[in-house]
Amino acid sequence: MISCKNVVKTFNHLEVLKGIDLDVASGEVVVIIGPSGSGKSTFLRCMNCLEVADSGTITVNGKTVESKESSLNKLRQDIGMVFQQFNLFPHRTVIGNIMEAPVLLKKVTKDQAKEKGMELLKKVGLEDKVDEFPNRLSGGQKQRVAIARALAMEPKIMLFDEPTSALDPELVGEVLAVMKQLAKEGMTMVVVTHEMGFAKEVADRVIFMDGGYIVEQGSPEEIFGQPKHERTKEFLGHLK
Amino acid sequence: MNEFLSFALTYLPYLLQGALVTVEIAVIGVIFGSILGLLVGLGRVSKNPLLSQLSKFFIWVIRGTPLLLQLFVIHFAIPSVFSSLTMPPFVSACIALSINAAAYIAEIARGAIQSIDKGQMEAARSLGLSSSQSMRRVIIPQAFRRMLPPLGNEFIALIKESSLVSTIALYDLLRTGQQIISSTYRYMEIFFLVGLIYLLLTTVMSFIIGKIEKKVGAYE
Repeated sequence: MISCKNVVKTFNHLEVLKGIDLDVASGEVVVIIGPSGSGKSTFLRCMNCLEVADSGTITVNGKTVESKESSLNKLRQDIGMVFQQFNLFPHRTVIGNIMEAPVLLKKVTKDQAKEKGMELLKKVGLEDKVDEFPNRLSGGQKQRVAIARALAMEPKIMLFDEPTSALDPELVGEVLAVMKQLAKEGMTMVVVTHEMGFAKEVADRVIFMDGGYIVEQGSPEEIFGQPKHERTKEFLGHLK
Repeated sequence: MNEFLSFALTYLPYLLQGALVTVEIAVIGVIFGSILGLLVGLGRVSKNPLLSQLSKFFIWVIRGTPLLLQLFVIHFAIPSVFSSLTMPPFVSACIALSINAAAYIAEIARGAIQSIDKGQMEAARSLGLSSSQSMRRVIIPQAFRRMLPPLGNEFIALIKESSLVSTIALYDLLRTGQQIISSTYRYMEIFFLVGLIYLLLTTVMSFIIGKIEKKVGAYE
């Protein structure tokens, strides 16, 4: 589903990604963990070309990710993304946020988009917030709307960039619950997170990144149970 | 006091006629200045280097020279070389005010667009919107809200600066007042009335802007 080969990314002479290879199978849930500055968010953002990799190739659904506008816009419709800071459109209501892209980009009427949007809101448990503006929602609610907004385009892949890092601790659970549900339904997901509980429970594969490399990867049992690499042990040790 | 009132009532119709001219050129300046200003502002933030340099040059020249000079260039200098470009004072006034306002409004637009969080563009693009769709549907509606307070200032300045058109023989509010003075020598009364009418116009303008701000600001 996603195939990354030797991805390199440099910001102002600082090499953030030093040649990364990763394949994600259809329906797989891959969780990327690692210290701040390890390049995990940058790597995720390369997958839908929010950052343009300097070299290496990324293919999604068999199509190469390239920075040419027209093909990129098409490709991104298949890749949903959820951001740490939610990035809801503050000038649109909850349902307006969800309907925006389908109405503009898919050949659906407003009524169809609204119907679909209502379904998605029910799924994330926010059907009573349809006509609210985002500033009236809690962080957890905002993030659930953001997930619904991404799902409205019926993507084949969902990317999550630290989706719970900006939330109050008591609001993290509701967002993770929605993500777990998605994973159960067979969505292909790549998740950058610090939520080790989520990684243990939901991930098919855990990737540990540090210093622009993938240091180690394996099943949650392998990574959390018997990490092989010193750096992984050290990182996981800090968490306890 | 009675004497002043009867004097004021005699000349008020003339002053109001002048005020009408002031309102006309100010409204035209606001409309065309805003349209042109928004375009130049978009050019300024464009990734196309030619467009952004051209916009930058326009803003540099217009903001860096006096409005009065711009008015003279449009009304006197250009027609002196190209006689076919001779225009009535009203038209010259509208052109000069629109162009001048556009340069300031372009900077207001640029600032507002750049103040919108980068994440908004990323969210829109990640959904598959093109960059122009993202601009139109996501960035500009939010930037417009932030443009309103400085835009209100600009519009008020425009009403006041429109008084410069009195120098190219256009009978706006100020010029009409001066004309009445030249036959009555009642400086104090006439300038007082002129000032009062300007104050009324600018007050109405800030009232309107305030209303619009409330309306489009519903989400904040």
